[in-house]
Amino acid sequence: MSSVAASNISAATAPKVRRRVRWSSLLHRVFVCMMYFFMLSPLIFVVWMSFFVDAIPHFPPSGYTLKWYESAWQNSSFMNGLVLSFQVAAVASITGVILGVAAALGIVRNGFLGSKFVNTLLLSPLLIPGIVAGIAIYLFYMRAENVLDTDIVGTFGGLVIAHVCLTIPWTVRLVSTGMAGLDPSIEEAARNLGASSWAAFRRVTLPMLRPSIVAASLFSFIVSFENLELSLALVGPGKTTLPIAIMQYLEFNLDPTIAAVSAVQILLLGIVMLVTDRFVKLSQVV
Amino acid sequence: MMGYSFNHFDPMDLMVETFTLENYVKFFSDEYYRKVFISTLGVAALCTVFALVLGFPVAYFLAKTQSRYKSLFIVLLVFPLMVGNVVRAAGWMVILGNVGVVNATLMWLGITDEPIKFMYTPFAVIVGTTAVVMPYMILTLQSVLEGIDFSVEEAAQNLGATFATTFRRVVLPIAAPGVAAGTMLVFILCMNAYATPVLLGGTGLTMMAPSLYDQIAKASNWPFGAAMALVLIVTTLLLATLSNWLIHRNYVKTMGA
Repeated sequence: MSSVAASNISAATAPKVRRRVRWSSLLHRVFVCMMYFFMLSPLIFVVWMSFFVDAIPHFPPSGYTLKWYESAWQNSSFMNGLVLSFQVAAVASITGVILGVAAALGIVRNGFLGSKFVNTLLLSPLLIPGIVAGIAIYLFYMRAENVLDTDIVGTFGGLVIAHVCLTIPWTVRLVSTGMAGLDPSIEEAARNLGASSWAAFRRVTLPMLRPSIVAASLFSFIVSFENLELSLALVGPGKTTLPIAIMQYLEFNLDPTIAAVSAVQILLLGIVMLVTDRFVKLSQVV
Repeated sequence: MMGYSFNHFDPMDLMVETFTLENYVKFFSDEYYRKVFISTLGVAALCTVFALVLGFPVAYFLAKTQSRYKSLFIVLLVFPLMVGNVVRAAGWMVILGNVGVVNATLMWLGITDEPIKFMYTPFAVIVGTTAVVMPYMILTLQSVLEGIDFSVEEAAQNLGATFATTFRRVVLPIAAPGVAAGTMLVFILCMNAYATPVLLGGTGLTMMAPSLYDQIAKASNWPFGAAMALVLIVTTLLLATLSNWLIHRNYVKTMGA
């Protein structure tokens, strides 16, 4: 009705206005595509370059090859980095998820005194530069080494503990969002029907939280795997994670080998991310 | 760590425990560190503004679109965030290097005869950092814009408001909390950036995070590095809170009135 009235009033100007609107929306779309290109171009070009034949890359390339993937594979520092990053990320995400679920349960279910404070505290590691956090953890480890008389800095365990600190905030955030969507009366019903609180948690709440928990583990894996700043101060000599290995290589040269290594990381994390997206919509997480 | 910043650095003993402000005095009186500090602030501010101005239309598009590819758009936005800054910096090196894509294109088009030096300049750092933080900005803005009832905007336009007026008087005030949150988040991320300034800025542009890491890891000057870290954190917090307060004061209040 209203559109009819509107077109009666401005019959003469309507087509003109519509065309202008269409033009501006087209321009808007072009702009959005350009911005997407801007954000994605580094990934696109690095993957492209990994296939170049020339050892000293130039555009356009004189041919394409897969040999750089082979040479990246044979480079021990990348290979060891990949393995170490993978191990650290796996252990850190599993540990982080167990602790994070417990923390989220505590925060959401039993609003204990200061739970709000803990919540803010868990969500604020962003404020501290990763590099400073890494150094602070390093200092803490040094003190702990003096007291406990064992090596922590440069060990696998030390790195994992630091990465757990990194992953817990994400887990808490994901799992508490998932928990907010749950109906507590279902767990109560289970309790009323005679289930112990542990059984009610394990058989009722946990399965309902499964999507959030899976997403939290995968997300933690990504966060830990790609982390550079925190690890930088904590890795031992000769034992570096993949991002550090890439970083050190890049400071001196840029060639198709490093592009291939980067492409492997892009592919690996891309797959993990797509799997995560199947469980929890990524738009609600970040 | 905070305690360390008040200690005295001695090249022989490395660190002498005392209580002194000399590290802070040194930081603010030394020309070099003042420059590092100011360029960090400048880069962070510029990147935040770019991310906001360039990201807003994208967030607006995402919030309004009915397309069934919307989730794909979101995934494409999150994707670069997930692969890590180092790899993205590598990508920018491929693009901006002397034999990179941009220079190859410019030379092919005949615009320049010899490559323009993009790498290791403030320009490269700003471009790289903006691209790094833009997805965060878009996601934050989008989550707020998503909640807007777009009929309000249509109503304003039906009542004769131009696009600019509608945007300024209707869309922006509603989006203000998102703008505040996004600006704060992105500003903090830019201030704390490490990998991008190191790889794209090199010696051409030094920012706080790489510089303080060098102080500690390479020069072993723990007290001074710690002082720099504290300066960085406090400044970031102050400025982020300030920008948040300004945006809230200018827009959220008008909403209430």
